[in-house]
Amino acid sequence: MHWATIVWSMIASACATVALIYFLVWYKNRASRAALYFAIATVSTAGSALCELWMMHADTVGEQTAAIRLLQVPLLVLFVSITWFVWTYLGAGRLWLAWTIVVLRGLYVLPNFVMGQNPSFRELSVDHIQFLGETVTVVGGVTNPFLAVGQFGVLLVLAFVADASITTWRRGDRRKAVVGGTIQFFLAVGLLSSLPVLWANARVPLMISPFFLGLVAVMGYELSRDVLRASQLLEDLKISESGLRETEARINLAIEAGDFGIWIRDLVRDNIWASEAWRALFGYAPSEPLAVDDVMQRVHPDDRDMVRRSQAMALAGANGGRYESEYRLVLPDGRTRWIASRGRVEKDGTGRPIVMRGASRDVTARKRIEHETQGLRQEIAHVGRVSMMGQLASGLAHEINQPLAAILRNAEAAELFLQDASPDLDEIRAILSDIRADDERAGHVIDRMRGLLKRQTLDARPLDILSLVNDVAALVRVDAAVRQVKLDSDVPADLPHVRGDRVHLQQVLLNLILNGMDALNGASVEDRRVSVSARLDGGQMVEIAVGDAGSGIAADVLARIFDPFLTTKPEGMGMGLAICRTIIEAHGGKLWAANQHSGGAVFRFTLPIADGASS
Amino acid sequence: VSITEPIVHIVDDNASFLAAASRLLRASGFTVKTFRSAEIFLTQRDENAPGCVLADVQMPGMNGLELQTALAQSLNPLPILFLTGHGDIASSVRAMREGAEDFLEKRAPKTQLIDAVKRALDRGAREREARARQRAVRALFDALTPRELEVLGHVVRGKLNKQIAGDLGIHERTVKLHRTAITTKLRVQSVAELTRLTDEAGVFKASAPACP
Repeated sequence: MHWATIVWSMIASACATVALIYFLVWYKNRASRAALYFAIATVSTAGSALCELWMMHADTVGEQTAAIRLLQVPLLVLFVSITWFVWTYLGAGRLWLAWTIVVLRGLYVLPNFVMGQNPSFRELSVDHIQFLGETVTVVGGVTNPFLAVGQFGVLLVLAFVADASITTWRRGDRRKAVVGGTIQFFLAVGLLSSLPVLWANARVPLMISPFFLGLVAVMGYELSRDVLRASQLLEDLKISESGLRETEARINLAIEAGDFGIWIRDLVRDNIWASEAWRALFGYAPSEPLAVDDVMQRVHPDDRDMVRRSQAMALAGANGGRYESEYRLVLPDGRTRWIASRGRVEKDGTGRPIVMRGASRDVTARKRIEHETQGLRQEIAHVGRVSMMGQLASGLAHEINQPLAAILRNAEAAELFLQDASPDLDEIRAILSDIRADDERAGHVIDRMRGLLKRQTLDARPLDILSLVNDVAALVRVDAAVRQVKLDSDVPADLPHVRGDRVHLQQVLLNLILNGMDALNGASVEDRRVSVSARLDGGQMVEIAVGDAGSGIAADVLARIFDPFLTTKPEGMGMGLAICRTIIEAHGGKLWAANQHSGGAVFRFTLPIADGASS
Repeated sequence: VSITEPIVHIVDDNASFLAAASRLLRASGFTVKTFRSAEIFLTQRDENAPGCVLADVQMPGMNGLELQTALAQSLNPLPILFLTGHGDIASSVRAMREGAEDFLEKRAPKTQLIDAVKRALDRGAREREARARQRAVRALFDALTPRELEVLGHVVRGKLNKQIAGDLGIHERTVKLHRTAITTKLRVQSVAELTRLTDEAGVFKASAPACP
């Protein structure tokens, strides 16, 4: 055994081993076509090496001819497989060129077997030389011109690879382009190394396979990068998995710290899974079965509709499928608990909601505080209103009481004087004149009260009805929420401005809306709504209406509803509507009340359009 | 108008009510004087005139309750009757506690007003009589000498002549002479009568605690 034999055998066996590995890689993952082509190219290289080895040891011309003929097969397969490897791995190249290579090399090999022609030499001679300390056979003779066809095929392979590499380079994938370039280099060197033997009768053995081994090494190295990358990905996956576990632990911590109960509702099968914390919150035993309807039964009857509605809205896709609501629970033992729930609807690829996930927590304590604060605020507001009204009323009463008392005493005195046999008529005349003066005095008091609103405190400016309504809506929002009254507003944005005092008109609107809400005490949830609307009334006025869905106004009350001190409320002063009417009349408008056909009362008032703002 | 005729003094800043109330009370048979303010009333009234006061609680300057206080400190504290435009619990309570005869709304029924005025005048007359009697009794005691007053003090405490003589370091017969002078000057017949009169005059109220 000598070096040439050892080296060529090793090339063949190394290539065969690598080929086997990559056949397995392809077998396990059929999608990796590049691995298949690489394996084929490697096997072909092994075949070439073996053929070359045979050539080195073929002593007779006949044997040599057979060896050269056989060599054409691995070479054909090698060039074709390299071409397809580049095509798949670089994802570039011209397909027509690839097929031309296949056809051309096929044509070159075919006569070899069909006609027994040697494609390389017309006449063949053998000789022996010393090579790497061994006597090997070398070939010589007259070169067959048909050889040019085969070598042109190799040039086409070079062209194909060059073209694909340039495309890849332009595409920005420098790394793959370099791989293409290297393949090209080894191909070119292999081709060049064969030229002296084939064309110039150089007395050296054919040595293509060592260069092709380099080619295989480059391709193999590149493919193994994929394997390395895969293992790196696996490593990354492990790291991210541990990160995932860490995140999960953190989420659990947050859930526990926030007292959250987690629930997942499967919308397809319509069942619920819930965490133990959630079960404790809703009064379920850890293993008790959960059903949507049963859970809904635990929601306070007054809140059920609201919960259903907000879930339906989330399912319909409102708010990006987010669900949020606060409601009361009535636990099986009768206790009431406030729950704040948030969730999100998840959809499948076709946009169909499939699952709803969320978290709920106990907000009873917060609600209680809110409720107390709210109650306190309302009380303060009420005391404020009452004391203002009280002051006004007591001031009014005192001022008017003086002249009334004088009138009463004068009248009584006159009656007594008239009982005399000869009444003092001068005295009685004086009394009547005083009574008249006191009556006027009382009238002045009332005029002064009106004047307070009319002249001194009215600051009339052009006003936008929409912003007026929005301001008041903001003031009563909390009140409305607590009383579960829905405030509808229908005010066109293009209404002309009216002329009025913002503060006074806010007071009127506020009063009418609060009255409307008062009228809804005891009404069902659907009916709990107060609506504010505005529209043009002819060319000079804007009419604003505040309606409620309460039980309306009794006929006898309706006739006197604007009288001072008329009230239907136990704690009312009966001054609100009287003042409202005074304010609206001071603005040059009218305020009146009516019952709606659909039930409930409506208060309407008109305001003059501001100068210069026409419809 | 005789000096003994009681006068209803009406004090109110509201002229028209003043005139009206004055007319009504005159027509009802009372003698009436009107004043536009508490200050005017205090300076212009007849110090000795009997009667009562009918005053508005709320007046500029001195108000009704201040007038009540000032009146109580005078020599002739007339009963006071308050009028108000509207019932004010806090001031009515205070006024009644200070001894006001009544607290009426200005538009109170006529009979209620007349009855209240009558009650105030009756009370004024009674108190005036009591004050006159007290003054008369005091005049009797004024005739006593200091020594006689001293002896009287011991007598009303129930001491015997002998004890009094011992206490004062004088002869028992001298004590008897003093006692005769006292009963003569005070025009009384018995020790019981003497004690009652002394009590009525309030002579020893400050210095001598009551002894049985």
